[in-house]
Amino acid sequence: MSEKRNRMVEKSNNKRRRVKLVPEFSINDHQDVLVEILRRLDGPSLCSAACVCRLWSAVARNDSIWEELCFRQVSPRPSPSLRSIVSALGGYRRLYFICIRPVLARLPTIIWSHDQLQLSLSLYCVHSYERLYVGAWLGDAPPSSLMFLRKPVNVV
Amino acid sequence: MKRDLHQFQGPNHGTSIAGSSTSSPAVFGKDKMMMVKEEEEDDELLGVLGYKVRSSEMAEVALKLEQLETMMGNVQEDGLAHLATDTVHYNPAELYSWLDNMLTELNPPAASGSSGVNQILPSPEVNNNSFFAGGGDYDLKAIPGSAICRGSNQFAVDSLNNKRLKPCSSPDSMVTSPSPAGVIGTTVTTTTASESTRPLILVDSQDNGVRLVHALMACAEAVQSSNLTLAEALVKQIGFLAVSQAGAMRKVATYFAEALARRIYRLSPPQTQIDHSLSDTLQMHFYETCPYLKFAHFTANQAILEAFEGKKRVHVIDFSMNQGLQWPALMQALALREGGPPSFRLTGIGPPAADNSDHLHEVGCKLAQLAEAIHVEFEYRGFVANSLADLDASMLELRPSETESVAVNSVFELHKLLGRPGGIEKVFGVVKQIKPVIFTVVEQESNHNGPVFLDRFTESLHYYSTLFDSLEGAPSSQDKVMSEVYLGKQICNLVACEGPDRVERHETLSQWSNRFGSSGFAPAHLGSNAFKQASTLLALFNGGEGYRVEENNGCLMLSWHTRPLITTSAWKLSAVH
Repeated sequence: MSEKRNRMVEKSNNKRRRVKLVPEFSINDHQDVLVEILRRLDGPSLCSAACVCRLWSAVARNDSIWEELCFRQVSPRPSPSLRSIVSALGGYRRLYFICIRPVLARLPTIIWSHDQLQLSLSLYCVHSYERLYVGAWLGDAPPSSLMFLRKPVNVV
Repeated sequence: MKRDLHQFQGPNHGTSIAGSSTSSPAVFGKDKMMMVKEEEEDDELLGVLGYKVRSSEMAEVALKLEQLETMMGNVQEDGLAHLATDTVHYNPAELYSWLDNMLTELNPPAASGSSGVNQILPSPEVNNNSFFAGGGDYDLKAIPGSAICRGSNQFAVDSLNNKRLKPCSSPDSMVTSPSPAGVIGTTVTTTTASESTRPLILVDSQDNGVRLVHALMACAEAVQSSNLTLAEALVKQIGFLAVSQAGAMRKVATYFAEALARRIYRLSPPQTQIDHSLSDTLQMHFYETCPYLKFAHFTANQAILEAFEGKKRVHVIDFSMNQGLQWPALMQALALREGGPPSFRLTGIGPPAADNSDHLHEVGCKLAQLAEAIHVEFEYRGFVANSLADLDASMLELRPSETESVAVNSVFELHKLLGRPGGIEKVFGVVKQIKPVIFTVVEQESNHNGPVFLDRFTESLHYYSTLFDSLEGAPSSQDKVMSEVYLGKQICNLVACEGPDRVERHETLSQWSNRFGSSGFAPAHLGSNAFKQASTLLALFNGGEGYRVEENNGCLMLSWHTRPLITTSAWKLSAVH
């Protein structure tokens, strides 16, 4: 009886040892890989990913992910000089939420050529100007030049 | 008495419904005509049946039928040929208007404009001739005047007043009539409404809308012919009528009525210069609510950007500085262009601020901060001037054109110069001295600068109605109200002021083209980039319903449902100069 029991215990120990031989991999230890993965997501998925845990939320603040998301459909790809300007204005993540996403929602069939991109950037620029520099002047009102993009419009 | 229950038809202007039912309301009317005094029970019964009429008004109907009969007796035989078809009226309220039309058709308009106008003063003492309109209980008469019925149908108003009621005879012959749809020109029908206690019957706001417009026009005409007592009475009526409307029409009518009242009572409108911060705020809200200013800025910026291609040092002179909202977008576009940004210099010109704060300087500081953030070399100078005509080229510190390219920009500012004699010529002279590579101009597309007040009034009524209509789709109510106040101030200035005070002297593109052409400017066509950006921008507003971009001789026009509202144009010095 005890021999049978010993054999069983030994078997399970072996099993445990066998499992331990495989190295543990956690994506959370390799954030650069995580960034690469998140970069390839679409908007809704990326937003869900940013809600998973605090670590992922912090990783998702990496602006290059949002840059990829903003300009995925744009061809030709805008020049790298855009990066410094957009970060000065508030970053790609804000650009996506404030300009690109509402525009895509309103005009799903839009072809992102240079003109549409320029328009979005102009709108974003005005918004940032209002937010950063004008806001206090007009009595702490939140920037609202893009109000027309934010609210759903009743077409009566 | 035989009464059939008919489906209540909404009153259309003189249209009759030739249905399968044979019951003749004239028979019904005959019974009613027997009663001279008002009977509330009958009114109630009428209401239950769905008729929008009071029994007292049936007396009027009877009167008209009698007149028609006598009229028909007097008319030539061939004139009766068109009376051959049958008409069935389901709504006795329509009988009055139908009869009136018949009468006026047979009785050519004899009274001239002024005499007809004199007779329509509301006389509250004539209670038997009262018609309810709107939701209120006041006496309103039909409003004639040559402003409305341009020689076509003049109401036989003189027959209406002070006629005693007579019982009608032989009404059966009255049933025949032409189908009024082909007969009627412009008419103003009097609407009838039941007592306010009864829940069944409602106001016909469509009719009231027409009354409102006609009242506005008649008032303007009265003001023009200095008939101030009449104008005063009409202004009060307009106020009541406006309340019965909803939406854009109500607001427009209210603003125009206020402006007319100011003109009549010679109240000068509140000075705009006093509250500079208020007008700034209003303009900000206008900027946010609707695409007009954004359209203006983006299209002008695109033109300037294209004109500045390849230049290393650029200078923009802005006649319409305000908040400087146009320039962040231009600076960003310049920052992104190939070869890096040029050195950007901005000269802003604006009116003096009331509280003596250096408003222009503050704007400059904000823009400078933005420029630093996006690494664009920036230089700024602000000039305060009461009017653009006070400017001189020497003040602007122009640098030699080999080193610096200049653009001049004016958004809704040039029309203000047309009130001063020689103003616009002086400014054109200054611009020519500046020698810009491009002169971008955005103006309202409407002629509000004609010599005749009534024409200006009519034009501006249509223009601002369209503008307010387009605002209706805007989501936020507070922004919308502010934008409407912003436009209301323009309306007030346009209607109530005269002489140098009237600054809102808008003109159409063709008029401006003539001015520019004869002053030595040639048109510079706005490219397809501007067009595409504008189309995308408009598509974002309200789903693109209603807003259109049109190209007109190289200029871009923003329209609301085929009515152009603002125009962006660009000009350069013609080769001769």
